[in-house]
Amino acid sequence: MLAFISARQAGLDDPLRLRRAESTRRVLSLELNKDRDVERIHGTGVNTLDIEPVEGRYMLSGGSDGVIVLYDLENFSRKPCYTCKAICSVGRSHPDVHKFSVETVQWYPRDTGMFTSSSFDKTLKIWDTNTLQPADVFNFEGTVYSHHMSPVATKHCLIAVGTKSPEVQLCDLKSGSCSQILQGHRQEVLAVTWSPRYEYVLATASADSRVKLWDVRRASGCLITLDQYNGEKSKASSEAANTAHNGRVNGLCFTSDGLHLLTIGTDDRMRLWNSSSGENTLVNYGKVCNESRKGLKFTISTGCDPEFAFVPYGSTIAVYTIYSGELITMLRGHYSTVDCCVFQPNFQELYSGSKDCNILAWVPALREPMPDEDAEKQHLNPAFEDGWSSSDDEG
Amino acid sequence: MDQKLSQLVEDLTTSGEPQLNPEKMKELKKICKSSDEHINHAYRLLMTQLNQEHAEIRFSAFQIVDELFTRSHQFRTLIISNFQEFLELTIETDHEQPLPPPKEVAQKLKKTAIKSVQDWHEKYGEAYKKLSLGYHFLKQNKKVDFQDVNVRTLAERRREEEKQKRLDNIYKEKAKRAEKEMEEMSQEIQDTLTEMENCFRLLMPDPFDFTVNDAELEPVTERTANENRPTSSLSMQIADSQPSLLGQMDDEQPCCSKDLPSVSPCLIVDRNRDLNEELGLPEQKEMNRGECSEAEIIAAATDDDDYETFVRNHGLGSHKYALNLEISTDVKVRENEDNTAIINNIIDAHKLIRNKFLPSVQSWIQLFTRAGINDGCLRCAIDFKKKLETAMEKHKEMNIDYKERKRKVMKVSDTEDDEDEDEFVDVPEKEGYEPHIPDHLRKEYGLAPQSSPKVLTKGMVMRPALLSSQSERNEEELDPTCAAATLKLIQDKLPKLPSLNTSASANPKPAASGELDSETRKLEEEERAKAPIIPFGLDLYYWGQDQPTAGKIHKFSSQHRFWAPNEMEEEVENKEIAEMLKSRFITFCGKFEPVKHKCRAPMPDGRLCERQDRIKCPFHGKIIPRDESGNPVNPEDKMREEKKKFEKQAEQPEWQDPEFMREVEAATGVDLGSSRYNGKGKGGKNKGKKRKYPNLTDLKQEANTSRSRLEKKVFNKEAIKRVAKAMNRMDRKKHEKFANQFNYALN
Repeated sequence: MLAFISARQAGLDDPLRLRRAESTRRVLSLELNKDRDVERIHGTGVNTLDIEPVEGRYMLSGGSDGVIVLYDLENFSRKPCYTCKAICSVGRSHPDVHKFSVETVQWYPRDTGMFTSSSFDKTLKIWDTNTLQPADVFNFEGTVYSHHMSPVATKHCLIAVGTKSPEVQLCDLKSGSCSQILQGHRQEVLAVTWSPRYEYVLATASADSRVKLWDVRRASGCLITLDQYNGEKSKASSEAANTAHNGRVNGLCFTSDGLHLLTIGTDDRMRLWNSSSGENTLVNYGKVCNESRKGLKFTISTGCDPEFAFVPYGSTIAVYTIYSGELITMLRGHYSTVDCCVFQPNFQELYSGSKDCNILAWVPALREPMPDEDAEKQHLNPAFEDGWSSSDDEG
Repeated sequence: MDQKLSQLVEDLTTSGEPQLNPEKMKELKKICKSSDEHINHAYRLLMTQLNQEHAEIRFSAFQIVDELFTRSHQFRTLIISNFQEFLELTIETDHEQPLPPPKEVAQKLKKTAIKSVQDWHEKYGEAYKKLSLGYHFLKQNKKVDFQDVNVRTLAERRREEEKQKRLDNIYKEKAKRAEKEMEEMSQEIQDTLTEMENCFRLLMPDPFDFTVNDAELEPVTERTANENRPTSSLSMQIADSQPSLLGQMDDEQPCCSKDLPSVSPCLIVDRNRDLNEELGLPEQKEMNRGECSEAEIIAAATDDDDYETFVRNHGLGSHKYALNLEISTDVKVRENEDNTAIINNIIDAHKLIRNKFLPSVQSWIQLFTRAGINDGCLRCAIDFKKKLETAMEKHKEMNIDYKERKRKVMKVSDTEDDEDEDEFVDVPEKEGYEPHIPDHLRKEYGLAPQSSPKVLTKGMVMRPALLSSQSERNEEELDPTCAAATLKLIQDKLPKLPSLNTSASANPKPAASGELDSETRKLEEEERAKAPIIPFGLDLYYWGQDQPTAGKIHKFSSQHRFWAPNEMEEEVENKEIAEMLKSRFITFCGKFEPVKHKCRAPMPDGRLCERQDRIKCPFHGKIIPRDESGNPVNPEDKMREEKKKFEKQAEQPEWQDPEFMREVEAATGVDLGSSRYNGKGKGGKNKGKKRKYPNLTDLKQEANTSRSRLEKKVFNKEAIKRVAKAMNRMDRKKHEKFANQFNYALN
């Protein structure tokens, strides 16, 4: 650390290097911290989380009872101990609350004044954050599994929506209507993601075990259908032709630079694809337990040297390095299936929501205090002391 | 150290005890205290034990965990780092991983674990985030009520509710049915109650119901008012006594009237008493009430009457006497021919109430209360019950003295005619023909007492001659209605063959009993006694004669007109058959002699063998004479026995008594090989294999129900295959049978 700082002072290093090294270190030391809590509002499982990209301060959560809660993550109390407060929520008593489970929530990428939510009640709602009133409601024919808004788009304002129908719908916020339909999948679309690199590129994952990349300007068809065998085996078996997984594909995530795409399927596999060529990079992550019937929200760190993927793995969260496929650690803390996790890039914090109604904050562990005996003793919580009775007979 | 630690953990967890052994626990704690390494090791060991599919092991392991948890920070971090699994294994948070059997222990484990988690949370929840998370998880997601002593999860509670609901429905249904039943039955009950009430009234009017007797009392009062000395009727006498009683205080204190100037009341009281005695018990009650009501009426009457005349008429000093009557309510009604019908009725009604109505009403009330129905039905049922109970009570109070009712069977006798049916005697029930008639009953049956009781006894010869000599009873036998005649008939039918037999075999001459003198007779009888009984046969039939057709086979000649065999012997003599008809096989197999001796070999529990085998005891070999203590009498037997014993001992030395060895092993922990003797030592009951942890409840044993055993047999792969094969074969056979038919040939 000191070496990094001195090198930075001397101007030997790129400023990015120190930042990367430190954030990597912090990500690696993520742990459940007793000082950080997230207020318990949800009475049922938490399906989805999103942190706004502008400040990285506010977090949205959607529960399986239709409740949406808005948290403030910033700690202004000047104390290490902090409970993330819920600023406001769309509770069950709200007149415009989603009737069924909220599957996806997303902030408007440019501003915190607006967010979107989609639910199993076949609607996509556009909310005004300040009044907590829906500004617009899109109705669909099937339950909505996922929606996404491009984080980099400047020329369009489209929301891609994956529903039970095999067509991907594109909703235009400007006109307030479904402007476009992308046809190609054969079964329900479980996940949709815009590329963070090209504003017109969209990735969709479906239950027919295919992952397709689209250019939304081209209405005729998709750009690429990802093939797990890179075209080698597809001639032999037409069945497995152009499939990304051997089961339903229910998770999609671009790396922050948009060069790679990570997909996860119910065949308990995770695959990394080159997003420009559609090539399977054949990184082996081992078995990634995935029993979810709907979309799975996993996330990828940003600003670290080897990037990390945080993947819900049963009741734990598995941390992999993306490019080597190495399992770094398992974060244990939830008592039930984890449904979603989201990475806060500014402080390298991870938030995860689970069926046990908890949202847990995984915070980088502080550096070990200096080996100062007195100070250590003062800091030590009395609960950490051993309770052995002093006499030998007692034991 | 590590070795010892694992040994300790294993010992503690497999003890099967509800409490941990404090000494071993102390030792374990001492080891754990020494370093964190040991704590890690202990943690691993305990987790493996917690993973065992046995609630007792888990329970003990959990207790150790609890002990260590409160003591070591290291241990706490370890446990909490894997708290999910820990909860799954102890509190059953995962439905797909239920706690293992035995059930009671699992329940206990769950209860203690929940309690401990709560304690831990209180104590350490602040410091260990995951602990508090787990606690909240249990509290909010699993809805574990930490206050609830019975520790029920949500699912259990729901299950219980559902069960309750189902039960409620069933009860409601039942209640509905009961309501209907009650509606149907209420009329009947009412009728019975009225009937009983009426019967009671008829038997004995209600002492407090004065209206009943009014009609007949009216004239009495009139007479008492007018007449001075009623003498004739009973009621007159009573009436007469009334005014005098009016003057007295009460029955018990007749002398308290001594302040009166007149003496007559006393006399009258005496008379009254006499009268009471005369009247006898059953009427007394009636009279008492009569007194009461009459007195009242008289009192009323006197108001109207001339006061003075009344006083004068009755010779009373004053009119202002208070009258206290004691009406005895304990009654005894005796049955006589007058009230038999009524009492019969009462008995019937009583029986009906006791056996039918009361139980059903009781059950209705139970049903209604259980179903929570609290409307008219319940009230109605309770009313019924009350009424029925009062009726029963009344019946009890009546103290009805029933005549004994017994089954009446007609006496069988020839002296009495069939007409006098009114004379019945109790006779034990009989069915059909009785071969043995006790002597004291013979007369009743119309049989002579000495007429051979050995009529049909086994092994005895029937002697028609003897029977016929007792001729005096024959006249009875002529009467077809009497039992003797029947007996004769049966006797005649049954022993016909044997009698013929004997006469043929033992004494070919006809028994001319009259001529023979007593000596020859005696001799003959002796011979007869000796003679065997053999079944009757053709050889006996033709005894001493030539059998005309013996051994001759008759061949049928052809009846055909043209086809006749030319030389055909019509009859063929067959020597063998002839011989067969004349001879007789008598097999002699001796007589059965019951075995009198016992084996009497000494058994391990000190008793002697009780088996009564003829030659060889299946347990102790050849039966030899033995003395009282079971030792052989003959010296060579003794030798052999000792030799055998010695051999046995050589096989298993004395000091290797299996019980003793097991104890030693338990104490030292060294295997001396006691299990080798288990089979022999315990009479072959124990299985040869010793269980690894004898203190734990054997799950296999518990699972070893008749059902599971059957399942094992029935669902055995081999068995299923076999059955399928057999059925296929049967099918195929059917097909083969009808293979020539188009329908079956195809498939």
